[in-house]
Amino acid sequence: MAENFVPAGQHRQLRACMVCSIVMTQNRFLKEGCPNCEDFLHIQGSSETLYDCTSQVFEGLITLADPSRSWVAKWQRLDGYVKGVYATKVSGTLPDEVVAVMEEEARIRYIPRDGTATEAD
Amino acid sequence: MSTSNLLNRNLDDSDEEDDNFNPQPADLSDAEGGDDDEDAGAQIQNEASKGRVNHDDDSEDEDGDNGRARPAQNDDEDDEEGGDDDDEEDEEEDEDEEEISGPKRKRVKRSNRNVFLDVEAEVDEDEDEDENEDDENEIRDNFIADTHPDDEADLPAGGEMDDRRHRELDRQRELEASMDAEQQAEALRLRYSNKRGSGKGLGDSDIVPRRLLLPSINDPSIWAVRCKEGKEKEAIFSIMKRIEEKMGTKDELAITSAFERGGTQSTMKGYIYVEAQRASDILTALDGLMNIYPRTKMEMIEIKEMPDLLRVTKTAALEPGAYVRLKRPPKYSGDLAQIIDVTDTGLELRVRYVPRLDYGMHEDVGAGPDGGKRKRVTAGPRPPQRLFSEVDAKKRHAKYLQGNPQSKTWSYLGDDYINGFCEKDVKLQAIDTKDVNPTLEEVTRFASGQDDGTENLDLNALAASLKSSTVNTSYQPGDIIEVYDGEQKGVLGKAISIRSDIVTMAVLEGPLRGKTIEVPVKGLRKRFREGDHVKVIGGSRYRDEVGMVVKIVEDRVTLLSDHGNAEITVFSKDLREASDSGGSGSLGKYELWDLVQLDAATVACIVKVDRESMVVLDQNNQTRTVMPSQISNKIEKQRGGGIATDRSGNEIKLEENVKEYGGEGRTGKIIHIHRTYLYLKSSSQSKNAGIFVTRTNAVNSMAAKGVTAVNAGPDLTSMNPAMKRNPGAAPGGDMPPPKSFGRDRSIGQTVTIRKGPYKGLLGIVKETSDNNARVELHTKNKTVNVPKDALAFKDKLTGATIDVNSRGGRGGFTPRGGGRGATPHVGSGWEGGRTPAAGGDVGRTPAWGRGTPAMANGGGRTPAWKAPDNNGGRTPAWADGSRTANPYDGSRTSYGGGNRTPAWSSGAKTPYGQSGFDAGSKTPGYSGGGGDSWGSKTPAYNQPTPAAESWEANQPSGGQGWGGSNPYDAPTPGNPMSAPTPAALNAPTPGAYSAPTPAPYNAPTPGAAPTPAPGWGGAWGAPTPQAMDAPTPGGQQGYYGAPTPGAYGVPETPAANWQDDGPRYVD
Repeated sequence: MAENFVPAGQHRQLRACMVCSIVMTQNRFLKEGCPNCEDFLHIQGSSETLYDCTSQVFEGLITLADPSRSWVAKWQRLDGYVKGVYATKVSGTLPDEVVAVMEEEARIRYIPRDGTATEAD
Repeated sequence: MSTSNLLNRNLDDSDEEDDNFNPQPADLSDAEGGDDDEDAGAQIQNEASKGRVNHDDDSEDEDGDNGRARPAQNDDEDDEEGGDDDDEEDEEEDEDEEEISGPKRKRVKRSNRNVFLDVEAEVDEDEDEDENEDDENEIRDNFIADTHPDDEADLPAGGEMDDRRHRELDRQRELEASMDAEQQAEALRLRYSNKRGSGKGLGDSDIVPRRLLLPSINDPSIWAVRCKEGKEKEAIFSIMKRIEEKMGTKDELAITSAFERGGTQSTMKGYIYVEAQRASDILTALDGLMNIYPRTKMEMIEIKEMPDLLRVTKTAALEPGAYVRLKRPPKYSGDLAQIIDVTDTGLELRVRYVPRLDYGMHEDVGAGPDGGKRKRVTAGPRPPQRLFSEVDAKKRHAKYLQGNPQSKTWSYLGDDYINGFCEKDVKLQAIDTKDVNPTLEEVTRFASGQDDGTENLDLNALAASLKSSTVNTSYQPGDIIEVYDGEQKGVLGKAISIRSDIVTMAVLEGPLRGKTIEVPVKGLRKRFREGDHVKVIGGSRYRDEVGMVVKIVEDRVTLLSDHGNAEITVFSKDLREASDSGGSGSLGKYELWDLVQLDAATVACIVKVDRESMVVLDQNNQTRTVMPSQISNKIEKQRGGGIATDRSGNEIKLEENVKEYGGEGRTGKIIHIHRTYLYLKSSSQSKNAGIFVTRTNAVNSMAAKGVTAVNAGPDLTSMNPAMKRNPGAAPGGDMPPPKSFGRDRSIGQTVTIRKGPYKGLLGIVKETSDNNARVELHTKNKTVNVPKDALAFKDKLTGATIDVNSRGGRGGFTPRGGGRGATPHVGSGWEGGRTPAAGGDVGRTPAWGRGTPAMANGGGRTPAWKAPDNNGGRTPAWADGSRTANPYDGSRTSYGGGNRTPAWSSGAKTPYGQSGFDAGSKTPGYSGGGGDSWGSKTPAYNQPTPAAESWEANQPSGGQGWGGSNPYDAPTPGNPMSAPTPAALNAPTPGAYSAPTPAPYNAPTPGAAPTPAPGWGGAWGAPTPQAMDAPTPGGQQGYYGAPTPGAYGVPETPAANWQDDGPRYVD
């Protein structure tokens, strides 16, 4: 597994995926794509997609050691994702076309991670 | 695997989904004919053959395909590989999909090949053994059935069918290939949308509601662990690091997750939260990590609180028109900006704000604009906010300026300026969206920036900005409030209590009536009715305005102001029911009568307060209207209020009344003193609220200054040493003690110290004050402070005790010698009855009078005090006399010259005469004698005589009560009367004698002396003479005082008293 650790000096380059909320550096997103959502987001290599689908504005880091057993992961709907660092809240909205692709092709219901969803609950 | 989870579904979900998903293609695909069962054999055979022949390739291929072009089918593929029950169907479906979706040439090829490689199905049977038994059996059965040679008849049919089906597929694919992309897409869309419609689709139901995700006791627990504030993120990453490091090793971390909710505003900062089954896991996991302190105060979070830890609140949506505050660049930090546009992601905004430009005015010459700018940002104060001015920009930075004057669009130094505002794209991180609280002044800048100059303040936008702040909520218990949002929408009630942003309200209407509910502030508004009398309480420029509600639209209330009948519209949250009316006399922090600073050189007094402005009277007597923002600050009254002087130099202070000198002669009370300006408040003028301004040198104080001075000045009485020293002195009529003038005579004298730690030591007086003397000791090289009354003066040469004062007064030695000489005489003269008594008394006289000699003119003084009592004006005379006589020179002269003798004798006699007078019978004799003897001196004596008489006059009345009649007697008489008397008698007697002795008086004196003595002794007894005597010398001395005692040898008396006189007398 790739190294998820990010030294404090690089925290400014962190971005969070708006779909799965995983937090990685910008470079890593570009190089590897989103480990959970790459199938439909195709962030890898496309900085435009990167800017559209990830956000620099996020709060509440979560380090996920065991996504299958963790209640936090379940609650955050992160169970099944890879281990790594996630955010509790990611501000920003996924562009409509990306959401459409996601829901059409990948049949994934997009749940915004900016807090709107929890208010509905 | 991963995508199924992306769906946020459990495994079951995906299975379910698959179930639903699968039938669809079956229905759709024409190739299947219609009957699954019929096809089953062929299909399975197909499957099997595929499996047999290409099993490995297959999966590889498929994976590759999926990775590239079929992300959506990933899960199905996974399932298939996992060997689920749905294997075949999945496979089939996959094929269908692949075939239909077209671009899988490889796959197509293989399918084709499969079609023709059917035979191989029988070969590789064994491989299927791996599959689970049901499948195996089924397949095997089918295989047997399908391939049985005996069933050849059937087979062809199946084979044919199979074959046909494949061909059909081929054809279909060809058809599809021939279709243009659009149609293809349409078909696809139709199919999938159809599928979603008929299937479960991706509706809400496929997301497990949060409430079903609530933690249970089976879930790991969460502990809050202390963490260094601000280092939460780093802590999380360092935990991540450790997790990765230990992964796969035997000491793999047992924690399942850790998270933080830090942030400067967060209440959860300083903690991270770690999820694990056991607390000990956390301790092991976090041990030794930087900034995390698991050993201090680790708290377990209750299950029901766990969801709260992860609660996420939506950041208020930013909409164009709303206001935010800039955080960066520093030059604009804190400035208000208005959102013009928001990008789709909501992470970038276009905002406009009032620029702070100096157009290179303060730039270093030669420095580039950038360099200079950077320097300025850190160094100087930032320029004020001002709308962009191309004129200014052209002055020095024309080369950086581009733009179109018509559209008022400029580009300057890389920024765009439109209509004077700077427009810029900023990132969400660079702005503050919470608690913006735009003030009206700031907002008006944006509102008035329109071309036509009209103010179109967007109340909605403003409301949005204001609502996002929690600070601004101003509900108070008792407010009638209405819930306009949320579950309780429409409920009306009265606020009971407010706790942060939760309001407890008692419902007044509807089914909930009488119940108490809690509602969040954000869904509340105050409820008013038309006609209510309300007051604006905040958040608006109409603050403190009072008026009647005339219109209510949503939460905007229009009211008719009590002032000026203007209609104003404010938010209902800024209103309160009001019982009072009118505004107060204050605007912000400024109140009526306040002294304020307008600019560095101008101060002014507020004389009128309006709603938004105030009228001030400046120091130059001009009134002007100013806004609070034009006032630089309020000048607080100094403590004590400051002091000035009026034109005649008298002190004037706040609150005092002064009158203008010249001019209109106005009078007023000083309310402010500022430098040389006075602000006066006059009740007689109405202009400027009675305030006018003058200069300090143009007024006269009207206060009675004397009184003020006395009141203000120090208590002179308490500071007056003379008063202090004679506490018994009545304030009214007593004379101050005689002052000694010039050099203190005791200075330079040799003294012994009679009391205190230095008792018995000999020294020389170096300095004196009223009560103390500094004595340089002979014995030690030291100068000590000694009370004067602890000093005994010694003769420098002989070491004999002397009275420095009288001696001083008389001149050094003469009296002593004389006294000595005389004393015996006296003694002998008196010896009869009195001497002993006198002696004893004498001893005392000095005792009380000892202070007296200690005084400058000690001997003289005691009597002096009495004298004034009795004779009033005499003391001065006496003092004068004493002085005149006292000067050393004078006295010596007189001694030497012999002129003195008469003086002395006169002095001596006076007392006698007086005592004689007192006695009555003798008086004449004495007086006569006196008269005779001193004829020449008469003038001097004459005065005393009357004085004596007048004194006498007192005497009779006083009689023995004389002591009581005079306050001053108290001291004197304080000693037994007898004491003074004999002393006086004694003293004078010898004095008289001694002094005169050489003089011609001699004869008469003795004669006189004896006479009284016996007479007294017999006639009066002790008291009388005492009474008389005491005064006598006093009285006498009043005039002649100094000489008298001196002459009489008062010095001697005390001398005797002081020390070894007793013996002497006794002897």
